[in-house]
Amino acid sequence: MDLAFTDDELAFRADIRQWVADQLPADISRKVHAAQRLTRDDMQRWARILGSRGWLGWGWPKAFGGPGWNAVQKHLFEEECALAGAPRVVPFGPIMVAPVIMAFGSPEQQQRFLPGIASGEVWWSQGYSEPGAGSDLAGLKTRADRRGDKYIVNGQKTWTTLGQYGEWIFCLVRTSHEGKPQTGISFLLVDMKSPGISVRPIVLLDGEPEVNEVFFDNVEVPAENLVGEENKGWTYAKHLLSHERTNIADVNRAKRELERLKRVARAEGLWDDIRFRDQMALLEVDIVALEMMVLRVLSAEKSGKQSLDVAGLLKIRGSEIQQRYTELLMLAGGPLSVPFIHEAMEAGWQGDQALGGLWPGGAGHCAPLAANYFNYRKTTIYGGSNEVQRNIVAQTVLGS
Amino acid sequence: MDFDFSDDQLSLRDAVARWVEKAFGFERRHALARAGGASREVYGELAGLGLTGLAVPEAHGGLGFGPVEAMVVMEELGRGLVHAPYVQGALLAPALLAQGPQALQSAWLPRVADGSALVVLAHQERAARWRLNHVRTRARLGADGRAVIDGVKSVVPAADEADAYVVPARISGTDDDEAGIALFLVERQAAQVGAYPTQDGARAGEVRFDGAAATLIDASGHPALEAAVDIAIAAHAAEAVGLMDKLVAITVDYMNTRRQFGVPIASFQALRHRIADVKMQLELARSMSYFATLTLGRERAARRRAISQAKVQLGQSMRFVGQQCIQLHGGIGVTDEYLGSHYFKRLTMLELGFGDTLHHLGEVSARLQDTAGVFA
Repeated sequence: MDLAFTDDELAFRADIRQWVADQLPADISRKVHAAQRLTRDDMQRWARILGSRGWLGWGWPKAFGGPGWNAVQKHLFEEECALAGAPRVVPFGPIMVAPVIMAFGSPEQQQRFLPGIASGEVWWSQGYSEPGAGSDLAGLKTRADRRGDKYIVNGQKTWTTLGQYGEWIFCLVRTSHEGKPQTGISFLLVDMKSPGISVRPIVLLDGEPEVNEVFFDNVEVPAENLVGEENKGWTYAKHLLSHERTNIADVNRAKRELERLKRVARAEGLWDDIRFRDQMALLEVDIVALEMMVLRVLSAEKSGKQSLDVAGLLKIRGSEIQQRYTELLMLAGGPLSVPFIHEAMEAGWQGDQALGGLWPGGAGHCAPLAANYFNYRKTTIYGGSNEVQRNIVAQTVLGS
Repeated sequence: MDFDFSDDQLSLRDAVARWVEKAFGFERRHALARAGGASREVYGELAGLGLTGLAVPEAHGGLGFGPVEAMVVMEELGRGLVHAPYVQGALLAPALLAQGPQALQSAWLPRVADGSALVVLAHQERAARWRLNHVRTRARLGADGRAVIDGVKSVVPAADEADAYVVPARISGTDDDEAGIALFLVERQAAQVGAYPTQDGARAGEVRFDGAAATLIDASGHPALEAAVDIAIAAHAAEAVGLMDKLVAITVDYMNTRRQFGVPIASFQALRHRIADVKMQLELARSMSYFATLTLGRERAARRRAISQAKVQLGQSMRFVGQQCIQLHGGIGVTDEYLGSHYFKRLTMLELGFGDTLHHLGEVSARLQDTAGVFA
């Protein structure tokens, strides 16, 4: 047993740190550290920088052009990116659909789609949830009917994150009504420029259209865009969900946000407030414990000697911690968390000059806090709600 | 970074688990507790396994093992709800006596290693709560490290079974000064002991030193006292993990067999979510138990912060797992005859040892830095 990283791992980390420091545009990291909104261009710029180094698919094996890193190296890469203030990589392409195409796609599909994902050129979206199929995803109704060498897709997807930017979308669609609901589902890749697709933004409680509804009205999809076999899509989707187990805890970002919380607390005169400080201390303990749990998983993956059944726990705890830091940040802002100033979320907003100089000096960091708190209510809902995760954990613990 | 146990560590774990299975059943524990909590006989059996020499250097007849081996042993002693002052006698005594002069080490460490001497830390005082710097017991130093001690130490583990105590006593300064605290060895015959059973079926006592003859271990003893307490907290974290592992296992078993409304109670979603939350607290505790053990070698400030972080997690986990496992058992959970209630009581007493959750939250809070994390 040893808590320390090996010399090789530390050297690896140092290389990554240097590279990120050299490559990450300062205007982007400033926004991330201030929790301001990132534009499509911000996200694409960083994705392309990673792509040009072959690291946008940092979890990919060498055979598909990835770096072939082990679990610990992937973690160190993610940590260095997060702490430096890199934007979170939009996961739908490199983290979600790419592993499915690698595992189940045809060689033609791999050659056609993977390069655009690896370079960051093509924006992918996810078409899973439907109005009637949330936690019970197998109840999805969007149908794809085979007509010759095409599928005709009809139905509706929802909660499609950043779908307004999407160029391609991977969908779970119903291709059969026989047997159990899970058995009639297929995994289809759809060009979002296809006639019959329309995207309608959904404004969330923070005032931003982060997610969308995607409608399919007799959309023609070439049959060659089916991944793997018809009616096996559920299996592929589960493969996708089993990928990137530790990343979902997002502990690296939590460490960065705890640092921001401490900065805000100092600036707002809360550092010496014992009651508030104890709450920060509790969050710090939570984050260290989560990080230890993540490290245990990484170590188990690296050595292959023990299997840890904690994936559900990582999602639950990680999301609770995300909500907690946004909550404490909002509370740290106090009364200055109340104003809803849309521009304050954007880069370039001059807090000290806003409102004709009437906005309190040095309080610019307070403006986005409530919106972030509202936005992060999503974390215990998406990716399998925490209640569904508890069902999964209980199943494992009870064996019944 | 590696959280696998070595083959030798796994063998050690098996050896302790086999002894627990063969020699330390619930009946025996219950009988010992009912008889007042005496534990020297059990301690002697652990000595027979060589376990009392675990942390004693080989030069003094011990095994010279480190914190990970101690953690392995403690997890198994916890799982078996073993009733013995192992942390005190086998882990703290060697660390504290190692601060003393060679002659003292040669006189005591071989006997500590083979279990023929039980040496316990007698540091708690009324009104100090968990502050290690609050020491009112006074010592007058004479020649050759001899001293005379006056004061009372409270809730001393195995007080009337120990052969000697390691006693922090003040040789200078005021009641709360860190400087001026020295560590002494005092044999039991030199003290007056008022012993009693503890809530978790063990034994402790009030120990009065009234001009008691003492031998100096360490004239500036506060750092060594802190280090010993940190060893104890890490060891108790490991014990708690073993306790919780077992308590969760028997609770799961109960949920799958107990039927109400015509079905096993494990089928009720309210209870399923509860056991998922229990599993969460258990795994967070295990993670922080590893953290505590693996940070014992850090320099003082980093070590103290890490240990307090661990104790905050352990305190929350022990309370939640203990309370909820009793709740999940229903009525049988609150009876004396049921095994689970005794695990709960031991977990509860562990929170009160070496600083409760609020105390350590205060420590973490006071040591807050700009950055945080496992490697901060």
